[in-house]
Amino acid sequence: MVSLLKLSKVTEEGVRFLSPHDGSPMLLTPEHSISLQNSIGSDIIMQLDDVIATTSPDHARIEEAMKRSVRWLDRCIAAHKKPEVQNLFCIIQGGLDLELRRQCCVEMVARDTPGIAIGGLSGGEAKDAYCKVVDTCTGLLPEKKPRYVMGVGYPEDLVVSIALGADMFDCVWPTRTARFGNAITSSGTLNLRHSSYAADFSPVEEGCPCVCCRPPEQGGLGITRAYIYHVAAKETAGAHLLSMHNVHYLLTLMKSARTAIIEDRYPAFVKGFFAKLYPDRSKYPEWAVMALKGVGVDLLVD
Amino acid sequence: MADNLTLGLSQLPDEMLSFTILKASEGIAPRLGKLAFPGRSTIQTPHYVGNTSRGVIPHLSQDMFSKHTNIDAVYVPLEDFIEKAPQQTPPVYKLVLPDTESPLRRFIALKQDALLIMGARRMPPVAAPAANTNSAISILTSVGFRHLASSDYVAAAQRLRPDIVVGLGDIVYKQQAKPSNKRVAKMGDRTEAWTKDIVAGKSGLGKTTRGDSCYSVFAPILPISHGLQSSYLDELADEMRDQLSGLAIYDPGSLVDLPEVLSPLPRLSFSEPASPQQLLHELSLGMDLFTIPFINAATDAGIALDFTFPPSNEPGSAKRPLGINMWPSTHATDLSPLSSGCECYACTRHHRAYLQHLLAAKEMLGWTLLQVHNHQVMDQFFAGVRTSIGKGSFEEDRVAFETVYEPELPEKTGQGPRVRGYQFKSEGPGEAKKNLSAYRMLDERKELLAEASTPSSGADAKDLEDIGFAEVAERQ
Repeated sequence: MVSLLKLSKVTEEGVRFLSPHDGSPMLLTPEHSISLQNSIGSDIIMQLDDVIATTSPDHARIEEAMKRSVRWLDRCIAAHKKPEVQNLFCIIQGGLDLELRRQCCVEMVARDTPGIAIGGLSGGEAKDAYCKVVDTCTGLLPEKKPRYVMGVGYPEDLVVSIALGADMFDCVWPTRTARFGNAITSSGTLNLRHSSYAADFSPVEEGCPCVCCRPPEQGGLGITRAYIYHVAAKETAGAHLLSMHNVHYLLTLMKSARTAIIEDRYPAFVKGFFAKLYPDRSKYPEWAVMALKGVGVDLLVD
Repeated sequence: MADNLTLGLSQLPDEMLSFTILKASEGIAPRLGKLAFPGRSTIQTPHYVGNTSRGVIPHLSQDMFSKHTNIDAVYVPLEDFIEKAPQQTPPVYKLVLPDTESPLRRFIALKQDALLIMGARRMPPVAAPAANTNSAISILTSVGFRHLASSDYVAAAQRLRPDIVVGLGDIVYKQQAKPSNKRVAKMGDRTEAWTKDIVAGKSGLGKTTRGDSCYSVFAPILPISHGLQSSYLDELADEMRDQLSGLAIYDPGSLVDLPEVLSPLPRLSFSEPASPQQLLHELSLGMDLFTIPFINAATDAGIALDFTFPPSNEPGSAKRPLGINMWPSTHATDLSPLSSGCECYACTRHHRAYLQHLLAAKEMLGWTLLQVHNHQVMDQFFAGVRTSIGKGSFEEDRVAFETVYEPELPEKTGQGPRVRGYQFKSEGPGEAKKNLSAYRMLDERKELLAEASTPSSGADAKDLEDIGFAEVAERQ
């Protein structure tokens, strides 16, 4: 459990925190967490874990959290009442310490959950450190189980993480940033609340087949950047329109990634993706170049 | 009268708006009509028009509007689009399209078959501190109060080419103090001049696409007595009648002594009715079309409208509420639809419990679903009204409605979505915050946390359900 809440106290028993709604004290234990997820009935359920910010200087606490997450996994597995219909995913912890991550992988893989999540990332750590953790973990994980990197959502992060061997992601960023008037496009994120878009009558992204961008002649809405500028952060419908576009963008990106993998041309796909995002090759992010080099893709070579 | 009307319409160019009265009685009475405009869905009246804010029905993106509502006409206020005009050209004016297309329609991505009605001010308008002048009205754009000159309004109408333009009126709105006698004397003269401007502008600019005009005009009837605006009304009746396609009514009382020659024109109400009962009152006076701010007000307040016309005959002595406040947690486990038998998107796919959850979580989808439902309720209401008028049972049904339902919508309890600057007028220093902050620091509860006791580690959902998630361990 990530402590976004200012006051939470983790003990061996569980996490105590104050309700963000009314401030009343609450306790979440691994058993209770699983029990709730059993009643919700989702296809994938997540263990309760002890998450420490990767940027925390307290190494001992990070290690404690990793080991506690393993113990809590055991409690979650024991408490899981519907293993035949709901898939319990473990969550690998250990901060940015690769040795802790390795230990955690070994321990958790031994518990043979149907899927494996890599947690505790996307909390403000350096991108190269993030890549090292994902790379280290995926190297130790079994081939035939889904690997889910939690909380990751920038397009570059997704494309690189896939190259590092990750399968699944989740992130609030595409829709949250849509609410702020930001559009995700293959050439970068556009802040459509900027006045330079006030009279820009092109679609959010030229050629995008989403409902929002597609011209009316092709059954779309033909929403322009100027219209998003007009409604963004003023009417909720502005957030709806951009959310449709942003989610469509990411789903399409993942679809093309899958196709590229099947057709055995993922390296070319990654190169094409970065070339579009950064017209100037010298602006390629260092972390992405290094991480991809580590798996045999050299972004700087055609 | 009906014969005259048909004759009058046949003289109009084919491309223009036509209004046919299908059923009307002598004198003041509800009436049935049909509003047709080439290329747009034909609207059976009485009906309502969708009320937009910045080009959308609030909470309904354009695809939801097309797929999940039956709204065939929308009202779009110009003040939502002209932030810094005339100092800066508004973006929508820069959209260049062929003369056959409306830049406003394209800009707001309004579907082709919906009738586009443009007026100057939002519904309901925010009362401006500055008074109207002889040549301009006071408006509120998202960047502040300013004036909109009649000449600029005509230019906007010519450029944006909506189907219908509601002429400028020197209106004193409900929210404002009663006009002085001196002001009242001016209102008719100003409105007359402005109506002449907008009528003259129909054929101006050479941007003519539909016969002789680039838009149809609805002339405002002022919310003052007939006598005080008689010269304006005479002018409408005698000189401008042929140039008018309809009337904008700000006070339903105006319908009582309207000049006979104007009565074949469709009447669009801007009277801000507060309840369906007030709609019924206006309908009984022969109103045809309505802008209804209470639909969106109910949605924002988390209220699902729940009434039908004529009312169904369910036994029960207590008056039924006109809507259900969806905020209270009493709905938290209620799997029934918002209204039983409702066929809207929200009622056929979701239930009250989900709606309550969405509101409590402040998820935007909650308001979207309510908006879809509330418009469906109004669709059914007006369908019922038309049937009732057709059968001649309107007065009876209206009495029954007033007997069965409470006179007012339920009180608003929950907070709506964030209020924006163009939706209210600041009342000066010391004013309470319009948008309360969503979170606050919880430091003062630190001791509570330290003292909290916990349930046993073996507790499962069943035990915990009794005290509710997540269990409140000993409130002090």
